[in-house]
Amino acid sequence: MHTADAAKSTMKEPSGLSDRIRWLRDYYFRGTDRAWNNEYTSWTTGTPWDIIYNELTFYIVPETYPLLNTLGASYLQAARRVDLPDGFWRWPRVERRAWFVREVIVHYVPQEILPGDLLAGGRFNIQTSMCFTEEESRQWISLVKGKNGARAKMKAFHDHGYGNAGATSGHLIPDHERLLRQGWKGVHGQLLRLYNTLAETDREGEKGAQLRAMVTASTMARDLAAKYKALCLEMASGEKDEARRGELQAMAQNLARVPWEPAATFWEAVQALWLNHMLVMTDENYPGAGVSLGRVDQYLYPYYRKSLQDGMDRNFAKEILKCFWVHANTAYDAMIRNGNQGITAGFGQLITLSGLGAGCRDMTNDLTYVMLEVIDEMSPILEPKPNVRLHQNSPEALLDKVVDMIESSQGAPFLLNFDERSMAGMMREAKKAGLERLIHPGNVFDYAPVGCLENTMVGNDRSGTVDNNLNLLKAVELALTGGKDLLAFTDPMTGKTQKPRQEGPRTGTATRFETWEEFWQAYAEQTRYIIRRCVDLYEVSESIRARFFPTPYLSCLVRGCAEKATDVTRGGAEINFTTLEAVTFATTVDSLLAIRYLVFDKKVCTMKDLISALEANWQGFEVLQAMAKNRAPKYGRDDDEADAMAQKVMRLWCDETWTHTTKSTGRRFRPGMLSWNYWAGDGYILPASADGRLRGQFLSNAICPVNGADIFGPTANTNSVGKALGGKTDSGAGDWEGYFNDLPNGASHTMTFNPSILRDPVHKDKFKAFLKGYAHNGGTALQINMLDPVLLRDAQAHPQNYRHLLVRITGYNAYFTTVGRELQDEVIERISHNRF
Amino acid sequence: MKTEGTILEISRMSTEDGPGIRTTVFFKGCPLRCGWCHNPESISLRPEVQWLAASCIGCGICIETCPAQALDNSDDGVRIDRSRCTGCGACAEACPTTAMELLGRTWTVDDLTRELVKDRVYFEQSGGGVTLSGGEAALQKDFCLALLQSLKREGISTALDTCGQVPQSVLAELLPHVDVLLYDLKEIDPARHKAFTGHGNATILANAVFAAGHKKKQKAPKTLWIRTPVIPDATGTPENIQGLGEFLRERLDGAVDSWELCAFNNLCRDKYTRLGLDWIYAGRDVPTQALMDELTRIAAGIVGARGVRASGMMRNDSTG
Repeated sequence: MHTADAAKSTMKEPSGLSDRIRWLRDYYFRGTDRAWNNEYTSWTTGTPWDIIYNELTFYIVPETYPLLNTLGASYLQAARRVDLPDGFWRWPRVERRAWFVREVIVHYVPQEILPGDLLAGGRFNIQTSMCFTEEESRQWISLVKGKNGARAKMKAFHDHGYGNAGATSGHLIPDHERLLRQGWKGVHGQLLRLYNTLAETDREGEKGAQLRAMVTASTMARDLAAKYKALCLEMASGEKDEARRGELQAMAQNLARVPWEPAATFWEAVQALWLNHMLVMTDENYPGAGVSLGRVDQYLYPYYRKSLQDGMDRNFAKEILKCFWVHANTAYDAMIRNGNQGITAGFGQLITLSGLGAGCRDMTNDLTYVMLEVIDEMSPILEPKPNVRLHQNSPEALLDKVVDMIESSQGAPFLLNFDERSMAGMMREAKKAGLERLIHPGNVFDYAPVGCLENTMVGNDRSGTVDNNLNLLKAVELALTGGKDLLAFTDPMTGKTQKPRQEGPRTGTATRFETWEEFWQAYAEQTRYIIRRCVDLYEVSESIRARFFPTPYLSCLVRGCAEKATDVTRGGAEINFTTLEAVTFATTVDSLLAIRYLVFDKKVCTMKDLISALEANWQGFEVLQAMAKNRAPKYGRDDDEADAMAQKVMRLWCDETWTHTTKSTGRRFRPGMLSWNYWAGDGYILPASADGRLRGQFLSNAICPVNGADIFGPTANTNSVGKALGGKTDSGAGDWEGYFNDLPNGASHTMTFNPSILRDPVHKDKFKAFLKGYAHNGGTALQINMLDPVLLRDAQAHPQNYRHLLVRITGYNAYFTTVGRELQDEVIERISHNRF
Repeated sequence: MKTEGTILEISRMSTEDGPGIRTTVFFKGCPLRCGWCHNPESISLRPEVQWLAASCIGCGICIETCPAQALDNSDDGVRIDRSRCTGCGACAEACPTTAMELLGRTWTVDDLTRELVKDRVYFEQSGGGVTLSGGEAALQKDFCLALLQSLKREGISTALDTCGQVPQSVLAELLPHVDVLLYDLKEIDPARHKAFTGHGNATILANAVFAAGHKKKQKAPKTLWIRTPVIPDATGTPENIQGLGEFLRERLDGAVDSWELCAFNNLCRDKYTRLGLDWIYAGRDVPTQALMDELTRIAAGIVGARGVRASGMMRNDSTG
């Protein structure tokens, strides 16, 4: 029956949608044909020196580098002018910005409500003036675009294969729970109290300005809700359909209370959540960049339970949530005319369901299942991205539901977080950074992932989870050359070639090394160098952002900012990290294993031969390349010797990472492994590697083994990943219970299975058991693609029939037909477990 | 433990060789010569080499390395003179790409046990364990026994997948250490059985009765699964299933937990080519869904529907 299944496997289709939701969902997918959409509008102070568009936030998106000037110029060109109040230019910058954003979204951007929609809050994507004085503009241009400015440094780093780094927006979970409980009224009151208790000198200084700006920002949602309330009433008065008229009146009633007042009902809570959430994207001028929602099934549950008691129908709760789902997807309208791929595929409004709570109790509740049903019925659709937290004692009913959803998820991939390993990472972080007061056994289960899968605490934590992306493989290259690029760099724009210069430390001539240990020492020194270089690069954009791009609205939503009277961009949050995401982990480990095997253990070739082979991209060295690929040990096979190398590499770069802190904002660096799509793009930049990879072939993805290296199947692959993170001890002396985890941020682990592994109840039980085993032996986060290669090849041939087919790239989903051909082929190739 | 065995392959996260998630150990060597065999590389007890065209880069290192001069180049790639090849594996050891592969490697019980316990947590979560398959695991009796004992000491659940063509005394020694017995019953008619497999079925049937009795009296194995390969125009006939069913009902009564009808699979064609063998079933198609349904109905009619299931690839009748 396997073949019959494969031929029959079809794409996931939405199901169980009401007419209302089906219309809203279909309307969304009409894209630019809609009457209006949430495309960026841009807004200027009208000065000749105005700057719109904070390009720093795109430094981690190499695809945008050629567009930076164009985007900045076109937003400026299209910008409408906003009338400024008297005295505007005398205000401190943060107050100018707070006022300007508020003015634009409340008074300039039109408000609309779609037919049948149960939630207000339409357009939120805006690009607003930086509100710079002429002098500030000049400084910004010099710091960002000058000869040694942020952009030039960032480009050099990327061009030479180190990776990328930049202070990026989003990537945190605001304190939504508090906002629902206290309303903005509560926040506003607290801000005024704090302002009034400031010393006179502070009030006149930066602290006073920050708090005044936050006070302004704290009224933004209230005033916008008032606008939408008026619109609801106006629409109700002209509405002929009685039921719809009632809905519009109820929406007006909701908006009369929330988000200013505490939410009292489920509908109010979801309405408030949507407005509070969407305005973060407004404030940051960036849609959905890892602006995540945290444990929605937990903090919305009291409202859900109360409304059910008061007579709300369970299906109506789902109807409200489905409207939320549609709204979340309009983030992608920002650059809708550029298509929904590449730079816009990285949005991650991640929601988290289930997981452990106090006393290691499982927190699954009826709202968890409601949301899973909503996801199931709405899928495939990109946002919000669902993440289910599993642990050793997750309830069978939840696992059954998850496995059923995975089974039908062709085209709707699924992310699972594993609590014990994740919490071990958070505990490690607390210990490393002396944050035991804020992260401890009594609250560590409150963690949640942001963006793609990056673990943070909730409501008080900004950990810059995508800000630094470093190719560990660069250190192998520098160790082979004694600190220079292996190949001369040719600028693709100018065609000019630069000779390799001394970049890293002079670690000696590798061809003279007599022992593996000598090579390892060189690698270790170069690793420390590339991390330092990444830290230095990050400092540039971090310090510019801290100085010029405050986000006072977001600061209101992050605990610590008000108390410290410090913007979140300046380290206001209680927990402040910036994360160094290592890319190319497995390629690096396998390259080191190959060097040890070929040059030192088996003496198949000399170091000189190997370097020549890499310079020649293995041309003329095919036998050596074959040995590197096929005979050298590999990570991902549950081979203890190879995995010991993985642990050694892991420990080295993590130890170095923890030693750094940003100078301008005091944010400690912490380690993680995400990789986003860099493992694909940077494969064209980095030269051939000693594991047998050719230049242009993809690098390894996050913590995954090199594609195709995991020849012993999913359990061996999983065991290697768990070991690389630090493994587990039976003694219970780990970071959390017996678990160790070097990566508090977590690590992306993707596995692709053929749907036949879930073909009947017996096999579903086996897969459930695999997930339970993963909770013991695996990593922090597992992303499962259930994909049939036959269907994917058909999608390549007939993209028009597969517009909604989603695949998981690395922590983010993308529409299969919109990703590049190479990445499509890679996804198909990944289906390595199709023997089931 | 010094006992050594010749192992063809270790397959992890196997979901088809017994309950739960399993690691299956394929032993080299089989007493039967079933025409439809889809693991022809497991038949000979001796290690053999095979050459995989798709992986070869034509470097010629294997030819230079072979101490028996059993390899040379031909228009079809590397040719193995099987009359000269001793199965020493020197070529496979030297091959940079793994195109030259040694089928059958020597393992000690300790090393193999270390490898097999790696998936312990998945066994525990799924009710799975290790399956000894082949080939015929019982053919390497001493090694098989030592491995079963070693796994039991580790607390790992064991399964033995056997064709039954082994001395009863061997089975008697192994069964106390077997939790799950996967027992193949192929053909009820002795003459047809001999024609299909090279042996009559007297030993196999007698051993099946013995194993069923052992299960009832000694509580080992705890679970007994019967498996029947459904080969169109051979074992896949209503008469055979009827006959096997009656044997199950009358001779193994009450001891059988499940009877699986495994559809013939023709994906192993290339394996025969690589081993330089002709395969009489090369052109044979997989059974139709209708045939499998009919046989399942017959089987269920005799032993009850609960324990009977069909598995493997089937054709839709329309695509015939």
